This record gives sequence, structure tokens and C-alpha cells, in this order.
Amino acid sequence: MTAFLRTVLLCLVLPFSAFAGPGTVKGTILSADGQPVPGVAVLLDGTDFVTETDAEGNYVLEHIPEGSYSLSVSGVGFKAVHREITVSGGDPKPENFSIRMEGVALKNVTVLGLTELQAVNRQAYNVTTIDAKKLYNTTLDLSHALDRLAGIRVRESGGVGSNIDFSLNGFSGNQVRFFLDGVPMDNFGSSFQINNVPVNFAERVEVYKGSVPVWLGSDALGGAVNIITGNKLRNYIDVSYSFGSFNTHRSCINAALTSKKGFTAQISAFQNYSDNNYKVTLEVADINTGAYTPDQTVRRFHDLYHNETVVANIGVLDKSWADQLLLGITLGNNYKEIQTGARMVAVFGARHTRGNIIMPTLKYKKQNFLIRGLDVVLNANYNFGKEQTIDTVSGRYDWYGNYKAYPGLGGESARTMYKYGNNNGLVTTTLFYKISEKQSLALNNVFSTFNRKGADELYPESTVNAQPQTTIKNITGLSYKIDFTDKWTATVFGKILHQNAHRRSVITAVGMPDEILDQYNKSTNYGYGLATSYYLLPQLQAKFSYEKSNRLPENFELFGDVVNQESNFNLKPEISHNFNLGLNYNFSIGEQHRFMAGLTGIYRDAKDFIFFRFNANQWKVVADNLNAVSNIGFESELRYSFKQLLMVELNATYQDIRNQVKYDPPGSIGISPVYHDRMPNIPFLYGHGSASLFLNDVLCRGDKLSFGYNLLYVYAFYLYWPSRGSKDDKYDIPTQLSHDVNMIYTLKNGRYNIALECRNLANERLYDNFSLQKPGRSFAIKLRYFYAK
Amino acid sequence: MTMLKKSTLMLASGIVLGLASCSKDNKDNGGSGNAGAGRFIIAAVPTSTGSEGVADYLLTAENLESGTLSTEGNGLEQDGTYRYYTTSGTKFFSMLYGQGNPGAVTVYQLDKNGKMQKLTNFQSETVQSFAAVGKDILMVKEARKYATPTSRWYRVSTESLTIVAEGQFNSAELANNGELAHFSWIEQVGNKVFAPFFSIKATDAGGWSTDYPDSAWVAVYSYPDMTLEKVIKDNRTSSIGLYFTNGLTKVENGDVYAFSPSNTIKINGTAQSFNSTKPSSIIRIKSGTTEFDQSYLFNIEAVAGGAYMTSWINVGKGVVVATLNTSDKKSQWQVANKLAVIDLVNKTFKWVTGAPDAAAITDFSMTNYSAQDGKAYIGITTSDKKSAVYKIDAGTATATRGLELVGGNITAIQWLPAQ
Repeated sequence: MTAFLRTVLLCLVLPFSAFAGPGTVKGTILSADGQPVPGVAVLLDGTDFVTETDAEGNYVLEHIPEGSYSLSVSGVGFKAVHREITVSGGDPKPENFSIRMEGVALKNVTVLGLTELQAVNRQAYNVTTIDAKKLYNTTLDLSHALDRLAGIRVRESGGVGSNIDFSLNGFSGNQVRFFLDGVPMDNFGSSFQINNVPVNFAERVEVYKGSVPVWLGSDALGGAVNIITGNKLRNYIDVSYSFGSFNTHRSCINAALTSKKGFTAQISAFQNYSDNNYKVTLEVADINTGAYTPDQTVRRFHDLYHNETVVANIGVLDKSWADQLLLGITLGNNYKEIQTGARMVAVFGARHTRGNIIMPTLKYKKQNFLIRGLDVVLNANYNFGKEQTIDTVSGRYDWYGNYKAYPGLGGESARTMYKYGNNNGLVTTTLFYKISEKQSLALNNVFSTFNRKGADELYPESTVNAQPQTTIKNITGLSYKIDFTDKWTATVFGKILHQNAHRRSVITAVGMPDEILDQYNKSTNYGYGLATSYYLLPQLQAKFSYEKSNRLPENFELFGDVVNQESNFNLKPEISHNFNLGLNYNFSIGEQHRFMAGLTGIYRDAKDFIFFRFNANQWKVVADNLNAVSNIGFESELRYSFKQLLMVELNATYQDIRNQVKYDPPGSIGISPVYHDRMPNIPFLYGHGSASLFLNDVLCRGDKLSFGYNLLYVYAFYLYWPSRGSKDDKYDIPTQLSHDVNMIYTLKNGRYNIALECRNLANERLYDNFSLQKPGRSFAIKLRYFYAK
Repeated sequence: MTMLKKSTLMLASGIVLGLASCSKDNKDNGGSGNAGAGRFIIAAVPTSTGSEGVADYLLTAENLESGTLSTEGNGLEQDGTYRYYTTSGTKFFSMLYGQGNPGAVTVYQLDKNGKMQKLTNFQSETVQSFAAVGKDILMVKEARKYATPTSRWYRVSTESLTIVAEGQFNSAELANNGELAHFSWIEQVGNKVFAPFFSIKATDAGGWSTDYPDSAWVAVYSYPDMTLEKVIKDNRTSSIGLYFTNGLTKVENGDVYAFSPSNTIKINGTAQSFNSTKPSSIIRIKSGTTEFDQSYLFNIEAVAGGAYMTSWINVGKGVVVATLNTSDKKSQWQVANKLAVIDLVNKTFKWVTGAPDAAAITDFSMTNYSAQDGKAYIGITTSDKKSAVYKIDAGTATATRGLELVGGNITAIQWLPAQ
């Protein structure tokens, strides 16, 4: 990792080739209490050689001509230090520094002052960042990487590519919005989702809990996840391939090529393939009699998943009229077999889904646009992708793979080949304006269109699918940030959300001409909030944020999906009030034992929650507004490191999510018996722990060997309302405890990497959802090559 | 909120997929109960909305006349709501409604202490109608779409607790009018199975509407081979029964009575309207025949001030206790707010007094109990979220409040004899 960041920075600051020299300077920067200091600038005075320290406080400057230099170390909040050094061609002697805090300092935060990771974490928002680079040698996808954070639970229905339910502080589904480099991902379709994008695709991932800054223009109800891809490297290649249990193959290529004139070509491609044929234990029904045989261990046989995605961009960098102008396209597709229904006893052998993404994109960035201090970012894309469910086999499979055909047309669940495209267009524009050293404005606008077109080749006569279903959505946000003092910063913001959905129906009646009926669902909603941060002590930061947020109804909720979901065109937005209060504290015991502790309290009060109920004949589900919930939650985090050798992280989350629907059904006089009951089927106590051991220069100089251990704990929770029914007979999802281990060996400062990992080491029967068993013990090996010029 | 949505909500809140399958085998077990001989089983659901997170709870009682039961920390949790319940002999079946996917049916029996004990599970399809036929339970999974008109039936042995036979039929051919036949329910009549059905378009646009609102049909099958013998039709009223509601009942002399709610719809774009020109009525099939008796017609709307029938329970001697719905609340689905006593043979109709006010009633339980002694036990939930068993005495046409249920709506009342 160190090497990776070094290279990143080198590429950033060094003009290529011209100064290539033999010398290297490297070392580690520690604070007075022995803690590594990331993100401080290290430079050779009077030259262009400059870099910053990585997360472990390490830095390296390479290709320096031999000679004497003055080495300077400066970081925001630290007293600058200088040292005279001599650079020669041989192995460098480490130039380590101990630097002292200089009061509190958020003044003049420049890109070199803090790593972006830290800069993000120091925002007043309740935000947590994952340094994806640290995970590049693992086989994690983004959802599994996110699952390790406090406040987040990712529930999976099975193996690779299975359906996931991402929840953040009890919000889930579309209440949490995902962004790719600040661009909403809502409409990317099934081929580009956090459960199939490998962690190598991202440089870092920011998770905003509760309040979401306006530059992530969205209608998130309870938080947002912003995936940042690294566009810093001008010339590099990063290739990885992994092979694992259940015939799982994953690969990822990231590369960029940039000419001296600033012409650039970037490509990211990734692929996942898995048979997911892991063993499950359940009661297996006889295909003819329905009689169950308990405790049968069978292999999943219809669960293949694969996806392939390419993201390509060409354009120019560092022109007077554009810091970045990229034209690109995202192409991808996925295929997924459906093994089971909502309960594992319902088994399928032929149902499957397909999806693709064909999305041209435009990205434009310019600092000091027209006037000094005005930065502009523009993104646009249009997704021509399609989604399809295929269910055409009339018959039944059993868990042994036996098949019984039924005469006539039918499906395993409901016969369909319905294929639809949402034809989503999106334009996001963000303007940042720095009014003065202490004040800035941000204006963001997100405009999106939706134009559903679908057809089912099995039912060509149906006219319902052919009618227009369109939505136009526009969200504008404005925020103002002021730094009152070095210690105190505050942001206030407001949002306006417009939505206009249109549906046309054709009325056909016997003996009457067809009549056309147009319906509209128009809404305008307002959101607002503030975020503020204050340093109580130099090492103790307090944060507070509040947002009144709105989540507009989704298109699939308004229009239904033809197959399983009925339209409810009268849905209203969900509304939530989110409060966050957080404290972060860094301290150390002795020189070598360093700690970071964080504690966050949250309060959420959400109304008009969109939930699903059965339609009148229980043949489909339909979205409706009714539910109201509150959540009082606590998250705590503790990090400990010992020298450069050992790192331990622990986090725990407790969320008290309560039903606030007093009258159910609406109009009742009596109070609902489950008013104030804990919401069922949502984990409420969980935690994650990890420990890593790093060994340097094990077999040869410049290599690194690390051992990692991860623990996930989720306390048992009930499937149905906790207060109801006899405790002995209640359905629950039992306490889950899973252990993952890995070993990573890197050579040549990270150029060659090999990783071995084992997930679910104890081969526990794991369930995130009632009845849906996840994979047992699995192994994977990952090879990765990284080269940057 | 539109009327349509409201009624849909009310239905979603109220429907329980079980229906008056009155236990004819338990003549000695009146509402006063007999602790040694069995238990009443009451199903309740704590909340009205949501397709997830909500389950039914089964509670037992020795009598229905008085007392209080609560779902709080009490009751056998079922895997979800929208379950339906039936008994056969000493076995209690908890069946699922699973959106078309198969799942587990749980079978219970009473132990020596009168506690329900799980006997076994077996896998079954999701079905839309079922009935005890001899020592079997016959279940029918209905076709959903005109384009895929195959329906399937399953015969479950209540002794082996497994599916012993299955077969299929074409619901479009059964309707034979360009629409799809959908059984409202099935009923054993002698050595035959009568299946009244309604006709629906079953297309994406047509949904549950029909262009044939003014006919009643019954498909007659031989049993156990389920061969279609004939389809009988009557144009004096609309289709018999409602979705998940038995529109047939047998009286002691073997005559079969049928009611029509006359609530079929047509669809205008997104608006729906009722399209039957025939009033909600009761018609008859004489014992031993398979034709409608043209000499018998009882126009219920005429005697009920325009209200229409939505379900009934046979209390013996040719008398039923019926639920009705006022015309201003008319719905295609099972929604009701009034009770009446109807003498089928003598064609008399009497409103029941002593039940909660129609405006306050949100639900009637749909699986109810009568020992064929002139009394019916029906669960009534009111808008104050109170739910109680009411004893309806057909002789006096009065309702008396009995056992109260706290923390849920009563959805089913059954009697389960001890082993």
C-alpha cells in the first residue's frame, strides 16, 4: 500500500523522465507521542521533489539526482522541521522525523495538508471513509468492504452476486443513495451495483450517515455512499485475478495512459463468475409427495452468477479550459440464476435474470472557472440498459435436481420474459465558490429523466406495457460553509426537490372507442439542515449535524414492475429528521501504543415510510406510505496500533429502531399493539473486529508479509414483531459469528502481490435472512500486479 | 385516498385466507367448551399492514363465552400472515399463502394438556381454494393469467400427510367465454366436488374485471379422479362466492345453497365500477341433482336494504349467519360490516342485533365456528382495535360479546378435538 501511495504521489508531482536520478529518500513521520502522521508534506527545498506521507506516516522520494538537499516536513497543525541530507545512489538511510502539534489547525487545508481520507473524516458531517487501497489484495466487493463499518449491515441472500440489502442506521433500500464520483448510481441497473463492483475499482468510499452534503445532490433519506475512483494516476496498470471455492473467478483491470500533452485514456474492467454451488443443509421435500426429509445436505445447483463490466474514458487533462474533460462509456451485463424463493424450501431450477448497462458518460472539471475561486464539475450520462426476468419452465425442481414437468404453458413462479429499459438520463452540475478564506458556497443541481419501455415477447398483445411511463426529477441544493475560528466550522444547506411522474392508460370498453387517460404525480419538497464541528481539545473533535430529508418515490414503486409489484401512483415522499452527534479522540499510552476512539449518537425520526404490502388478492406487492419509525442509535469505534507491527480495530453498533405507527390501519381509534415495538427483521446489535500484523523485509528487501483476521458479530433478531407470541416458538435469525483470515505477501514495494484468504473459517451455518443459508468455509487466492510510471 | 385504495387497504388489513369451514364432526362441542375433548383455536394478527414482519399467532381457549387472550408474549407464531387454517379429525393445518411459491404446511395436534404440538411439516403449493373431502384435503392452485390458463389440484392425505395425487385442468376452457374461470371455493357434495367460479379477464389490462357479470357457474367434478362432469350456469344472479370465500353450503336434506355477492367489476383505465345488473341473491341445487333449482331464488338485496352478502356460516337446520356489506362500501373483495340470520329453506331474513355498529366494524374473522346448534362464533374487530368473539344466536338474531382478544385482530376460529 505504501508503495502504491508513493507512486500515486510521485506521478502527481513529478514531471516524467526529465529528472530521473538514482537517489531515494524515505522515512516515517511520527508525532511527538509516536503516532504515525499521515498526510504531511515532505519536500526537498528548492526542487520539485515533494510528496506526502501515507496512512502509516511513511513517505518516499525517488529518482533524485545525487547531492545535498534541505528536507522539509510540514503539515497542517504541525510545526515545520528541516534537515540537511545528502542523497547518493546507494540504499537510503531512513530519514525519520518526529513532529510536534502546533495547536489546532484546519487553516489552509490544502491537498498536501491532509490526505483526502483525513480531510473527509474531518468534515462536520457524520462521515466515515474506507481506504479501498488497503483492501486491493482482498477479494472483497464494495458491499463486503462497507459491511465492516459501524452502523452498516449488508445482508446477503447467498453467494457471489446474490441480492443484498444494504442498511445504514436502520435505513435500507433506496433510503440510502449510492454515488460514483458524486454521480447518483440509482439508475445504473443490476450490472453495476455494489455487490458486483470489486473493491479495486475504488480508491476510497465515503459513507455519510444522516446528513448528506449538497454536492451529493440526492433525495437520500438516511445517508449516502460515495464511491471515489482514483483518477490521480496518469500512467499505470493494476491487474488482479482471483480464484476461489465454488468455481469463483474474479478479475479486475485498471489502467490509464496519459501523454505529455494531457491526452488521456483510462479503462477499468472487472468480471465476476461463480457457480455458487455451496452446500446447504435443510429439510428437503419429496417432489411428488411433499414429505420432508430433515437435515439433508445438498449442493446448490442453479445459482450461477456472472457479470462483466468495462468503464472506458478518453479525454484531456490539465488544459487551460478544463482540468479534466472525459468522454466515456460503461458497458456491462450480468446473468443470474435464481435458486430459491423467499424460503429455501421453495427451490427453482430454471428461473433467471439478465441485465445490461450501456451508458455513455461525460465528465468535466475546471477549477477557477471564469473567475478565481469558482470551481465547476459537470457530469452527464444516459443509460440504455435493460433488465429481464425469465421464467418459462412449467414444472417443479427439487433440491436433488429432479425435475417434474407440467403439461402446458407456465413458469416455476410466474411465466414471464418481461424485459424493460428505464432509459435514464442524468445531468449533475456542481459549483463551488470560495468567497473568502473562511467562507464558501456550493450549488448542486441533479436533473434526471426516466422513460420506462417494456415488453414481454410471451404476451405481445398486452397494451399495458406499451404506454408511456415517464418521470422527470430535479434536485437543487445550496450550501454555505463558514469557518468561524480555527476550531469551529459550520455549514448550512437547503434543497428543493421536484418530481413529475406521468402515466398514460388506455381505456378499452366493449363497443366504445379507446379513450386515453393521462395521470400525473407532481411534487415539490424542501429539505434543509446544518453540520458543525468543533475542536474541544486539539485531539478531540465534536461534530453535530441535522437534516430534514426527503426521499422521492422510486419509479418502480410508482409504476410497478409488471411481474411482482403493482403500481401505486399516489405515493408520497418519505420524510425523515436526522440528528447526529459525534466525538473523536486520539490518544496514546507510552510511545508505541496509539489509540483512536470515536463515539456517535444518532436519532432518526421518519414518517410516511414507504413499505410493501400485498395487493388485494395477494398476488403482487404494492408500495404504500404508512410506516413511521424512530431510531436512537450508538456507534463506537476503537483503533489501536502498536508500532508499525500490529493494528487492531473494533466497532460496535446498537440501534433501537421502533415502530411509530400508532393507528394501523389509518383511521383506527385504538392504538396498534405493536406501537413502540422494536422493528422486526432488522439487526440491532452488531460489531466488527479486525487485527492485522505487518512484517517487513521477510524474505527479501522491500517485501511485506501481513496476516489479517476479521470478525463479524450480529446479535440474534426476530423475524416478526418481537413482543408477540410465545418466546419459545418465535422465528428468529440466530446470532451470527463469522471469522475470516487472510495472508498477503507483496514484493517490490507492492508491484507483485499474492493473497490467500479464507472466509467463514469455522464453517458456521450463516444466515443474514431467515432460512437463506450463506456459503460455508471458502478459500481464495488472489494475484495482483501493479505498475505505475 | 381514493375509495379504491381505501377498500384495498381495508381488505389487505382484514383478509385471512380461510373461510367458514364449519366443523360438522364436532356436535358435542358447543361454545361452552369441554376441556377434555378439545380446544378452540383462535388465530390473530397483531397489525394490519405490511407484507413483511407480520405473522399470525395461534392461541387456544377452552371456551369462547368469556375471558381474555393476548398475543403479547403468547401464542404460536406462524411463518407470516395471510395463512389459512383448517382441521381434519384431530389435526390442525396451518397453510401458507406464498405468492405462488411452494412452502411448508404445518400440522398440529393437541397434547394431553390441551397444548398445540407440532406434528410435522409437509411441502405444498400455494393454493386459492381447499376443502376437506373424505379423508383428504383437496387443494386447487388457480391459473393467474389468461395466457397461462393451467390450474392444478392436489390431494393431500390427512393420514399420511403427503400429497397423494395431483392433476391439472384448463381454466380458460372451463370458462369457455374468452375469459378465465377462477374458483371462489370448492365443496364436497356427495361423491362429487362442486367448484363455483367467477369469470375474470386475467390480462394485464383487464385484471379481475369481467364482461360476463350476470351469470353464476358451478363446475361439477367427480371425486377422487377430478374429472369434469359438467358446468352448470344460472343467469338469475351473478357469480357465486368471492375470492377465498365459499359461496356454497349444504343443509341437512342434502340441498346445496349458493349465494352471489353480485360485486363483479369492469375496469375503466384505472377506475373500476360494478357491472352486474343482477342483485345479490341465493339460489339452490336440489339434493342429488346437478342443476340449479329454477323454483328457488332469494333476492337478498331486496330484503337487506341494498346490502349484499359476502360470506356465511351454516348453523344447522337450514339456517345461516351471513356477513353483509352496505352498498356504499361495496367492494370486489371480502369487506363486510353487518350480520344477518337467513333461513335458507323458508326464505326469511333478520338483521342481527347486539353486534358493534357497522361504522365501527373493521373486520370479521373469515374462518368461523358453529357446532350446528343454531349458534355461530364470529370474531369482530372494531376501529378502536378491540377484537372479540361474538356468539350469534340464530334463534333470537342476537350477538353476545364473548372472549376478548388483546393485541391483534381475530382472523380465524376453529375447534380442534383432542386426539
